[in-house]
Amino acid sequence: MSVVLPPFWSLVEAHGEELLAHARRLAGPQQAEDVLQEALLRALRAYPRLRHAEHLRAWLYRVTTTTAIDGLRARRREVLTDAPPPQVVEPELYDGAFETLIADLPATTQFTLRLRFMDDLDYEAIAQRLGCSPAAARQRVSSALRSLRERIPAS
Amino acid sequence: MTPLPAALLERIASAAVQEGLADAVFTRLATPIGRLLVVQGPAGVCRVGFEEEPEDRLLAEAAARLGPRVVASDRELAGTRDALSAYLEGDEERLEVPFDLGLVAAPVRRAALEALQRDVGRGQTVTYGALAASIGRPRAARAVGSACARNPVPIVVPCHRVLPGSGGVGSYGGGPERKRALLALEGALLG
Repeated sequence: MSVVLPPFWSLVEAHGEELLAHARRLAGPQQAEDVLQEALLRALRAYPRLRHAEHLRAWLYRVTTTTAIDGLRARRREVLTDAPPPQVVEPELYDGAFETLIADLPATTQFTLRLRFMDDLDYEAIAQRLGCSPAAARQRVSSALRSLRERIPAS
Repeated sequence: MTPLPAALLERIASAAVQEGLADAVFTRLATPIGRLLVVQGPAGVCRVGFEEEPEDRLLAEAAARLGPRVVASDRELAGTRDALSAYLEGDEERLEVPFDLGLVAAPVRRAALEALQRDVGRGQTVTYGALAASIGRPRAARAVGSACARNPVPIVVPCHRVLPGSGGVGSYGGGPERKRALLALEGALLG
């Protein structure tokens, strides 16, 4: 094995606080700890397969972001499939956090992110809404995600 | 920034251990001879470090041998913590925790440490020469000395009980003061 990865917990002790703050911004204070826990477990699952030991802090930020967004989607899905009417489920718990997160992004970027993560559309469907090819839709989502990550400061 | 809640860290570490995601678990333990860092792998305790030793290095050593997924948990190592505390506070006669000498590469050094742990109990001492003879290598006193000096699991493998034939307590990875303290705790007579 050529890659020497630092002991995982050294990363947790060095960056855990800022990652929790990051999770709080993404998912709100009530979900932040669960998001961080899931993110760190995901990171642990992938850790031995990393091919280099650079930018590990940025990598943890990325994993936390993805986990938070997946959490928003999962909660959204629960709401869509649960029997009670949507009003009962206090939509602001998830919509609020997500909308706050994307509020300052350009409108088209916001639109793309909502289609993908709030409406849970696949690239085919997003392409139809945006009037472009599925490949272009995929690219827009990925660039929207990039802007989202850049907007979230490290500290 | 709010510090990470200890309960959250414990929860994450426990979940990692339960899912089989931890290559090694470590804990920091306050004892009468200072803070110890204890690292445990699947086969047992593989590293005990004194507070002067840089944690980064201790954890990196363990990671190099067991894998990089090293997590901290007091709860997962509760048994080991209790055993060490009870022994070092003098309540317990014997220290019995599973240990792993995988960090010791040389067979002679490993044999010496195994014999030491097996045969030299609390309150007893042995000389480097006698320990070498006991593993059938009477001329390997120097190798035995180096085995003790580089013992990855001090206290668990009681290298503090190995003394120079010429008298005195001799050297110790954790410093001669600590060696004296451990021997005094065990009631071993000092010359």
